[in-house]
Amino acid sequence: MRMLRLSLMAVVGLAAAAQTAVPPASYKSLKFPPLREIAIPKVDEVTLPNGLKVYLLESHSLPIVRGTALIRTGNLFDPADKVGLAGLTGDAIRAGGTTAKSGDQLDEELENIAASVESQIGESFGTVSFSTLKERTDEVLGIFHDLIVEPAFREDRIELAKSQVRSGISRRNDDARGIAQREFTDIVYGRNTPYGWDIEYSTIDNITRADIVAFYKRYYFPANMILAVQGDFDAAAMKAKISNLFGTWNYRQPPAPAFPAVNNQPKPGIYLASKTDVSQTNFAIGSLGGILRDKDYPALEVMADILGGGFKSRLFLRVRTQLGYAYEVGADWGANYDHPGLFSISGSTKSASTADTLQAISDEVNRIRTAPVTAEELETAKQTVVNSFVFNFDTPSKTLNRLLTYRYFGYPDDFIFQYQKAVEAVTREDILRVAKQYLDPAKFVTVAVGNPKEFGKPLGSAGQPVTELDLTIPEPKAAPKKVAGGGNPEAGKALLAKARAAMGGDRLAGVRDMSQTATVQLDPAAGGLKVSQTAQWLAPGYFRQENVLPFGKVTTYSDGKSGWSATPQGVTPIPEAQMQQVTLETFRMWFSLLRSDENPERTVQADSEGKVEIADQNGHRVTLTFDPKTGLPATETYAAPGNPNGAVEEVFSDWQETAGVQLPRRITLRQGGKHFADATITSVALNQGLTAEQISKKP
Amino acid sequence: MKLFPYRIPLLVLLLACSLPAQDLHEFEKHVTEFTLANGLHFIVLERHEAPVVSFHTYVNAGSVDDPKGRTGVAHMFEHMAFKGTDTIGTTNAVAEKKALDEVERVYDQLEAERNKIEKADPAKLKALQETLDAAIEKADSYAVDNLYPRIIEENGGVGMNAETSEDSTKYFYNFPANRVELWFYLESARFLHPVPRQFYKERSVVREERRMRTESDPQGKLFEQMLASAIIAHPYRNPPVGWASDIENLRVKDAREFFATYYVPGNITISIVGDVDAKRMKALAEEYFGRIAKRPLPTPVTTVEPVQEGPRRIEVQSPAQPIELIAYHRPDQHHQDDPIFDVVASILSGGRTSILYRDLVRDKRLALAAGADATVPGGKYPGLFLFYLVPAQGHTPEENEKELDTLLANFQKEKVDDATLARVKTKTRAGLIHQLDSNAGLAQLLAEYYVSYGDWRKLFTAIDDIEKVTADDVQRVARQYFNPDNRTIALTYQPATAAPAGGAK
Repeated sequence: MRMLRLSLMAVVGLAAAAQTAVPPASYKSLKFPPLREIAIPKVDEVTLPNGLKVYLLESHSLPIVRGTALIRTGNLFDPADKVGLAGLTGDAIRAGGTTAKSGDQLDEELENIAASVESQIGESFGTVSFSTLKERTDEVLGIFHDLIVEPAFREDRIELAKSQVRSGISRRNDDARGIAQREFTDIVYGRNTPYGWDIEYSTIDNITRADIVAFYKRYYFPANMILAVQGDFDAAAMKAKISNLFGTWNYRQPPAPAFPAVNNQPKPGIYLASKTDVSQTNFAIGSLGGILRDKDYPALEVMADILGGGFKSRLFLRVRTQLGYAYEVGADWGANYDHPGLFSISGSTKSASTADTLQAISDEVNRIRTAPVTAEELETAKQTVVNSFVFNFDTPSKTLNRLLTYRYFGYPDDFIFQYQKAVEAVTREDILRVAKQYLDPAKFVTVAVGNPKEFGKPLGSAGQPVTELDLTIPEPKAAPKKVAGGGNPEAGKALLAKARAAMGGDRLAGVRDMSQTATVQLDPAAGGLKVSQTAQWLAPGYFRQENVLPFGKVTTYSDGKSGWSATPQGVTPIPEAQMQQVTLETFRMWFSLLRSDENPERTVQADSEGKVEIADQNGHRVTLTFDPKTGLPATETYAAPGNPNGAVEEVFSDWQETAGVQLPRRITLRQGGKHFADATITSVALNQGLTAEQISKKP
Repeated sequence: MKLFPYRIPLLVLLLACSLPAQDLHEFEKHVTEFTLANGLHFIVLERHEAPVVSFHTYVNAGSVDDPKGRTGVAHMFEHMAFKGTDTIGTTNAVAEKKALDEVERVYDQLEAERNKIEKADPAKLKALQETLDAAIEKADSYAVDNLYPRIIEENGGVGMNAETSEDSTKYFYNFPANRVELWFYLESARFLHPVPRQFYKERSVVREERRMRTESDPQGKLFEQMLASAIIAHPYRNPPVGWASDIENLRVKDAREFFATYYVPGNITISIVGDVDAKRMKALAEEYFGRIAKRPLPTPVTTVEPVQEGPRRIEVQSPAQPIELIAYHRPDQHHQDDPIFDVVASILSGGRTSILYRDLVRDKRLALAAGADATVPGGKYPGLFLFYLVPAQGHTPEENEKELDTLLANFQKEKVDDATLARVKTKTRAGLIHQLDSNAGLAQLLAEYYVSYGDWRKLFTAIDDIEKVTADDVQRVARQYFNPDNRTIALTYQPATAAPAGGAK
């Protein structure tokens, strides 16, 4: 677009320009001074006695204060039958308001002062964050604290969130790019793993308020949280404020478990999703990636950058610039901090060039695996990292966020400097080696979403298997999971009566109290602990359980309405949220469970296979199966709120008689279909004359 | 290209807002402005916190300036601005120029033959197409692919991109502070000596961009159809990416003419924010950009959208879940009602306290999302006030539309209360403070406000206009503009034969 005509104006312009300095003919002759040293701000750190870690960073350029509480949790802990639980919990913490104020009141109060407090739970962490003008800091910190420590989980906002998620599910096949990314992730990680499963109508429908409360209570405790605050404040004063607010919060839970391992082996090949309302094919190609602390990570990053990072990369050059087949195309090594990420090549191209684009990509992958990159390519990649390094430090918040991330995932504080050094040391041989070692096209999964009628050439002509994907969104199960309708109450009553007769008939009704000791041996995979357990029950709803663990004794007590738990650290009340778990124990105590058909507050119904579901209006629910010969209970299944591994199944054996009542002496525990513990009942005593006073005594 | 507002809830979109005056004065101390003899205007804001700099080049021309039958050319030129210059991106400038000229010569012949329509000779067309393809390959052989952006990337440039909207074309990226002169070199070179290198391949890339943003995206498709139906005369009716067949027929001469007409120095504003010395910036600006010849300013669009004379409604077939857009005509950003529209949008759709969220999303649960955007598709010329409705599962666009009508009728009847009005103003004021956080964001705002209002200070002083808005103003605007005769409704519907989501197995 050179100017072909020179106007008089232009001549004047040129003359004016001639009086100033003359630019060099080539950019190559420009000399750059060294970049001035960057001041990396110092972060104040303090750990409160309750275990809450606090990071503070003053920055006074704007009259704003921002903070984030980072919580070790994540949707990786969703139970298989309640996928979406973590996300809903994250939403409900904010939306459901605090004990004192509803979510609606908070919305108004915060917006009135142009502040925000937000909460969410993602894959491997949860956050509660705030942002406010400096002069409103105290008010906003108060709300922030209340939402973290005493969220109220009002039912109406939980229902709203659930309906929003359902609407989201109904729209998930409307965006072709979204489909490609989702299916690729699901297939590579495995659809039956927390990394690869999707939220479905049925998993959302399974989630109750009690599940949400329990999930919250399991993970939101001070020792499981990091709090970072940044902005226009005095660090010492802020430290005092935070200590005041959070210092008295002494809620404890066992440490959060490790995130599940990634070990899926997907079937390689092409996966095709048909979509007729698009003129492009969206694709994602790749395999499992790695972790940032892998020693080959720097070389892999450089390799992926040369292959498909930005304007200068090979894929951009070939597929976009030279072939004109795509607007978007790129590759990402995709490492994560704590679990393998996804190596992926993704983009979109018009339907007719689908096969050719995939071929061009395949050629580029083979090229980087079989021949060293050029010295120039390597130099460009290194220069890109080195010269843009300053942008890791250009705002104080980047420094604080990085520190937070490194601490959360257990990385060294200077990881970014180690990384930069490692990148500078990468050689052409390294790149060839890692490309060969980590990129295996024979194992690649290719997801294509588009209109196959317009592809021109069919996919898979090179012999790769082609699997057609069915994107149909499963409707919620017609049979309701809950008490209302569907099952057969009469059959349920009959099975229950038969079991009752086998266990001791009317004697069951005469049991007023029970004491029992047991040894529970957990599998090595579940931690390998051996726990001595004592349980006491007194009708109608008093319950006490003592567990002797390696780190001390934990005692739990409840009268059916409230309760406490005692650890070596002291006694704390059981939050309302966790009561559901405790009252489930009395709900399923043999002597009341087997008489559920006589209890007007409970429903009993059998399905066609002879499974009996017993439930009440408070959300308690267990399913029993029976030994067809003896009539005795064979298994019992119940949900374990907040536990990522799904429902618990108990398998009963070794029935023995105590005071005319048959009780199992051996219980095998399974969760999510996997064996995890064996319990041996070592003694049982009935009707010993236990009193409420004895059972409620604090240690 | 602008994104459709549903994906990111743009709560206080385009709201002008401000700090108290003393902060403006504090801010002013660090700003230096100058205009070169050729008319190119610079705004420099010194911020020395970190050794980094953000650059923003704002060209006061966008897709509204695309000539008839050449929609997409403003955007096409934006793409070409990354293709290099006569010295950057070629192995042999002289031979390359000859080869590029040959491409155009053959293309002219091909077009001439094509223009005979029925009388065109198929054999000749085929031969010419082959000759053209060969000429393109020949010219391409002199290109050093993507060298221009590569230089930026390998020198530590981050956030490099460009954006063509209806009103403007913006080029931006950030450099480490020691690379400032390289930016002057590269930025001035691409507007002094652009070369139409790899034009026709880039045209295919742009065609893919349209497939991605519009043709394969139900929201993009509906938005495009809505604009073309609500606006019948003004070029706001055309998509910035261009209509498919217009893109496919764009020629080098179209881009060249567009560049010559609209990329004149007086039509360009550049802002620089970061660790720089304003005096040095001025010297470098004169050295590098002083070389660009002064040329006359282009004529703005003169077509005036006629008054709408009755309701319009269109339906777009799509197997996707339904969405609905409702547009009302409104005046441009210089009209006295402009700040009132901003306040109206904020009351109706700003945050969880807004009328639309509370009623449609929270209480009635008719919508997954519902909101409003005060200024669509741009503010330079009279445009639209747009509502969007994303029905919740099990609810229809019609239910949502009916409920919105009820809400708007009530909004016209009852005056907004003082607390709500105060909240909107407070949020507006705070919104600006948050925007001041980023160098790149500031660079864009300074240029945008300078071009739109003639003074970057408007970024701060616009709050005064917002402060003056009364409940009466809000009611008047709602009554005056939100009426059915001034309205266009666009919605998607699922064809009866549509396969269930995901299509056939």
